[in-house]
Amino acid sequence: MAERHVMRIIVCVKQIAHTYARTGKELNRHYLSPEDAVFRINPYDELAVGAALRAGELAGGGRISLLTLGPIIAEKELKRCLALGAEGLYQIHMAAEMDPWQKSAFLAKAIDKIGADLVLCGKESLDTRNGQVGALLGCHLNRPFVSGVRDFHGASKEGGLLVERSAGRGKREIIRCFLPAVCSVDAGSIRLPVPTYDSMEKSRNLPVQKLMFDENMVPPKAVRTRIGPPRPRPKAPSPPDSELNAHDRIKELLTGSRLEKKGEMLTGSLSSQVDGFISFLELNDFLNGTRKEPEG
Amino acid sequence: MLLTAFDLLLIGISLMVFLAGLEKLKRSWRMGRKEACRRDLKGFLGYLLGHGKILQNPRTGMAHLLVFWGFLFSLLMGILPQFGLSLPLLFAGCLSLLSDLVGAGLLLGLLYFLTRRIKSDARTGPRRVILPVALLLVIVLSGLLAEGTRLSIMETPLAWRTPIGGLLALAMPPSPLLMQIMIRVHFFALLIFIAILPFSFMGHLISGSLNVVYRQKRPRGALREMDLGNRPGEEPVVGARSISDFTWKQLLDVQACVSCGRCDEGCPAAISGKPLSPRQVMGEIQDRVRLSPSETLKKSVSSDALWACTTCMACVDRCPVYASPMDKLMDLRRAKVMGEGLLPEAAKDMMRNLEIYGDVNGRGPAHREDWAMHLGVPHISEEGLNAEILLWVGCSGAFHPRYRETYGAMVRILQAAGVRFGILGREESCCGDGARRLGDETLFRSLRKKNVAAFRKYHIRKIVCLCPHGYNTLKNEYHGDFEVIHGIPFVLELIKKRKISLKYPENMRMAIHDPCYLGRVNGIYDALREAAVSVPGIELRELKRNRENALCCGGGGGRMWLHESIGESINQLRAQDVAEAGVNLVGTACPYCLTMLEDGINALEMEKPPRVMDLIEIIDSALERVY
Repeated sequence: MAERHVMRIIVCVKQIAHTYARTGKELNRHYLSPEDAVFRINPYDELAVGAALRAGELAGGGRISLLTLGPIIAEKELKRCLALGAEGLYQIHMAAEMDPWQKSAFLAKAIDKIGADLVLCGKESLDTRNGQVGALLGCHLNRPFVSGVRDFHGASKEGGLLVERSAGRGKREIIRCFLPAVCSVDAGSIRLPVPTYDSMEKSRNLPVQKLMFDENMVPPKAVRTRIGPPRPRPKAPSPPDSELNAHDRIKELLTGSRLEKKGEMLTGSLSSQVDGFISFLELNDFLNGTRKEPEG
Repeated sequence: MLLTAFDLLLIGISLMVFLAGLEKLKRSWRMGRKEACRRDLKGFLGYLLGHGKILQNPRTGMAHLLVFWGFLFSLLMGILPQFGLSLPLLFAGCLSLLSDLVGAGLLLGLLYFLTRRIKSDARTGPRRVILPVALLLVIVLSGLLAEGTRLSIMETPLAWRTPIGGLLALAMPPSPLLMQIMIRVHFFALLIFIAILPFSFMGHLISGSLNVVYRQKRPRGALREMDLGNRPGEEPVVGARSISDFTWKQLLDVQACVSCGRCDEGCPAAISGKPLSPRQVMGEIQDRVRLSPSETLKKSVSSDALWACTTCMACVDRCPVYASPMDKLMDLRRAKVMGEGLLPEAAKDMMRNLEIYGDVNGRGPAHREDWAMHLGVPHISEEGLNAEILLWVGCSGAFHPRYRETYGAMVRILQAAGVRFGILGREESCCGDGARRLGDETLFRSLRKKNVAAFRKYHIRKIVCLCPHGYNTLKNEYHGDFEVIHGIPFVLELIKKRKISLKYPENMRMAIHDPCYLGRVNGIYDALREAAVSVPGIELRELKRNRENALCCGGGGGRMWLHESIGESINQLRAQDVAEAGVNLVGTACPYCLTMLEDGINALEMEKPPRVMDLIEIIDSALERVY
């Protein structure tokens, strides 16, 4: 009996130190305090794991492996990704900072070594927002590349995989893509499952397989020379509480509260809210076209 | 009646069948895992003698009281003559009179139950169970008719000792044969009843009683700790994937359910037309135990029903035999989430935020103390503070714009009273109530571990918390060596000790909405009312459904993060209660209730909608301030 072909899928997952706030006071730490960042997997790469599960399901079985580059900084999150349905975790053991060209070159070497019919990655990462790795991977591997993949629709009768991608301005297109291929994944109809307890336990004991390459093998092509961290944003203090007496309100204002925004919260049923909104537009001359845009 | 050898043989057979049935019942409990439970015979006796829990529903409770005591007394009166005791005439006469009256009560009670069960619609009311009740009725009627015929033969029909029998004697022929037939019918029916007892609905006499004897002793608000196989050689049990994943006590709980439907009457999901019926959940598990115990429980309760539970504890509070449908639902949720990886889409973001940032909003620890800016709130570690209490803020207090105001009010009260308090700020994580009630026990445990470590770091001994969900979790589910007090009793104590004085009157007609996690779960009802009336000018009114019977706002059990797309909105049902009360202020003490009630009242589009405020805000607005 002929052995059934299992689709080999590799998902490139990037571990990032996601800075969600900037509350520090020290210039030399770029106004970052330790609580301002969390170590996590790039959310688009997490979606790529969901896409891999979907592609594997449509192919009637897939063997998913995760591939990460650099030191392990978000082990718990990596293991969580693994528990979503991947079977192996590979790490390209490199510490040096690299440009997208180098990153994609080393990833391509690892993919060649592991072997894959489909390579998936997120459309961009939250930390650098380069969005180049997917396309460059296609280039290094000499495989077709589809960006912004939202979903998979199974195998085409003419051969290849039917891929749905975002084509901008809400348009979606279906592309017939021949395997082996590289796809970058965008947020779309792919839903991420929740890892089960058993799979989490299993992934916890799964070893990370390390891949070593000579760091000098691929020279950089586009090197970052300077990075300017954004200036710290002062936190918006809470507005003065309109329930307070005048003295307390003034005290709050003097201690740095910002002015309360003028506005009215529409409440009630949907139709009454719509009525309220229309009457607001009429009252402020938005509907009859007499309102002048503020200058400057 | 004197027993013949044949009668004794019949009694023996009946008892053998009874014992076989008992063994079958025991086997069904033994399908479950081990669980250490303590016996409480004293509590059981109190429960039986007082019937207090069963009398929560007065009409049915009274009928049960008549049937229970009637049956027990009649049984004793049947056994006593077999010992050939000679009693003083007056005493025997009194016993006879009592027996007659009790028999009449038993008859009335049985007629009530029979009509209730016959008329019942299985979808909404108690289960249609007729045979055992009808058999009991035959036992009682045949006994009374035999007594009537006996009195008719003796020609002393209206003796004071047997008024009911005497009345019956007037209608009965003085036939010894008829009397013998009635006695035999009575005897045989009794034997059949005893034999079928463990096999039928009446098995609740055994399982229900045992369930009361072994009733849960852990705090009511504490969910069952999941057995994740922490000891070597132990397999983890991820919720209830099959019958054998329940403990023997949980299965006893299921067997004890008499399907009376009281749980459905109080369940906000059932009332608002959602597909959840706690009674049916217990029925489904009962059927599964009986018919196919090896099958998985995946399809036993639909997803819509499973996620409709608000964990308000109305079902637990109302159950006359201390059974807990909610406990089963929580284990089924755990099996769904941790066993199958299926979580409602709407809750996924919240859970992921908890995993990554430690708060439900995904704002992160760096923003956790933003609410306290310019309020002069110290961190617990502040030098020289020597804090008496830790003010637990929680996700609602830290991030919800509406509830931040309540915490601002609490800070002003504490400052006015001169209480030395501090917050954990960035070191505080979500208490984990939402994660646990949505079925993710590992996430809850990781949050608990983080918070407990912070409590230990700062040697916390006393915590004051405003959110009832956080209060319940910290108090009942953290198992820490610290005292947890809800904000309302704490502030009430400050008022009583004259640490703060309330000067400015609030001329309002106010009603209290009892949050489930304060009231039903932790028994705090009076403190809310006392705190409310301590504010000058407040005229307190009660809502139609109040205290133990208060309707949930619909936000608990993780429902705050799920869409309510089936049936009526629970918060609007509660808002209607408020509208009917004719008040212009609703006081509550929970961030979920505050939001849900405000939304519900707004949706009613009333001409003069009542304001919804946390009691802490009301007290703060009446506070005399020293400038």
